[in-house]
Amino acid sequence: MDKRLQQLREEYKNVQIPKELDIIVEKALQQEPKKKRIVMWPTSAAIAAAILFTALVNINPDAAQAMSKIPVIGKIVKAITFIEIKEEKDQSSIDVKTPALSGLSNKELENSINEKYLKESQQLYKEFIQSTSKNKKGHLSIYSDYETVTDTPDLLSIRRNIETTQASSYTQSRYITIDKKNDILLTLKSLFKDERYIKVISQNIKEQMKQQMKEDPNKIYWLTDEDAEPFKTILPDQTFYITEDHKLVISFDEYEVAPGYMGVTEFTIPTGVISNLLVGERYIR
Amino acid sequence: MKKKQTTKALLVTCITDHKQDFYRLAFSYVKNQDDALDIVQESIKKALSSVETVRNPETIKSWFYKILVRTAIDFLRKQKKIRVMDDETIEFLSKGKEDHYKDTDLHEALDELPYRYKTIIILRFFEDLKLEEIAEITGENTNTVKTRLYRALKLMRIQLTKEDLS
Repeated sequence: MDKRLQQLREEYKNVQIPKELDIIVEKALQQEPKKKRIVMWPTSAAIAAAILFTALVNINPDAAQAMSKIPVIGKIVKAITFIEIKEEKDQSSIDVKTPALSGLSNKELENSINEKYLKESQQLYKEFIQSTSKNKKGHLSIYSDYETVTDTPDLLSIRRNIETTQASSYTQSRYITIDKKNDILLTLKSLFKDERYIKVISQNIKEQMKQQMKEDPNKIYWLTDEDAEPFKTILPDQTFYITEDHKLVISFDEYEVAPGYMGVTEFTIPTGVISNLLVGERYIR
Repeated sequence: MKKKQTTKALLVTCITDHKQDFYRLAFSYVKNQDDALDIVQESIKKALSSVETVRNPETIKSWFYKILVRTAIDFLRKQKKIRVMDDETIEFLSKGKEDHYKDTDLHEALDELPYRYKTIIILRFFEDLKLEEIAEITGENTNTVKTRLYRALKLMRIQLTKEDLS
């Protein structure tokens, strides 16, 4: 082989492999593909998980915990902090606030949502424990909190943020939206008459993406076939919430439709675009 | 379902076995550790979420290379607008002509090649892949790959014997 090419080859092969590579690869492989999102957990499994979770926190003396239950006066539907976990170990840290709903008349709904939140926190704590177990010195930081994004007499939207940092970070936002009057958990599907909304909303988002990229060259969305996984359509149960002024907002996790530096991305869908597909004007107008 | 599981298992094994190769390839594009790690991570993420589209499990390594190369090139394309000039370039521009370091020419010869040429050189001579595999990765046919390989070597002014190319 040519001497110069040989030299380049040797330099290429001599590139130092950073020790973080193993951790990053392992972590990336453990992550389940985002597409399979489970909406509801079977109640019994969720209860078992909740018990296990509480036990974990109680058994581990390192787990600094703050349990705060706010007494509920009258029928005020709101989110409160149920359990907060804070712990630091070696290079890793976890700070997770678990939200819980209170005040719904439909206790079954309230419980199933709260159990889902607990389960998520338990999963995060498990990841933290795995990362700090004896033979692994992980650099993992987990942060999770929540925020009430919309609170009107009719509607309540809550966002839960989950940020996992390990060399680079991965942020997810989960929303739930509840009809407070009727005690119903809204799904994206339930807002529309039929399946046409998927196509219409996706089309609108694509237009918004193109527009944004045209206006600001620093914004990138995966749209074209050149991209390994271009955005085609939203999921039937895509993450969404409803704003105080009754607009529908579609949300994507980091990496879902754009490179990591774009973070969690959101698109407000103009009501005019979907008005004739809506079941009614109660939520979106 | 069963097929999907085995393909995924293959992918996991493949990534675990060759992660160092994949890292080196990513590094050869972005030239720094953090970005290279990011690219490996992002490629794995992309691969996991579309592993069910792999029809022939035997090509899984090429398939992953393909995702990795695209992710890296994508990253560079997006970064281009804000690229920080390296010391050598600044020095070169500010002082006019200077003595070259002995390897500069050689590195530039490779780094300044358009990506479609550079990719082929790296995959063929550094990763030791077959022309057919490279064709799979770049989505071209084998003849195009061969032509580009000749052209890339010519651009780099590298002479090779027949055996090197086959």
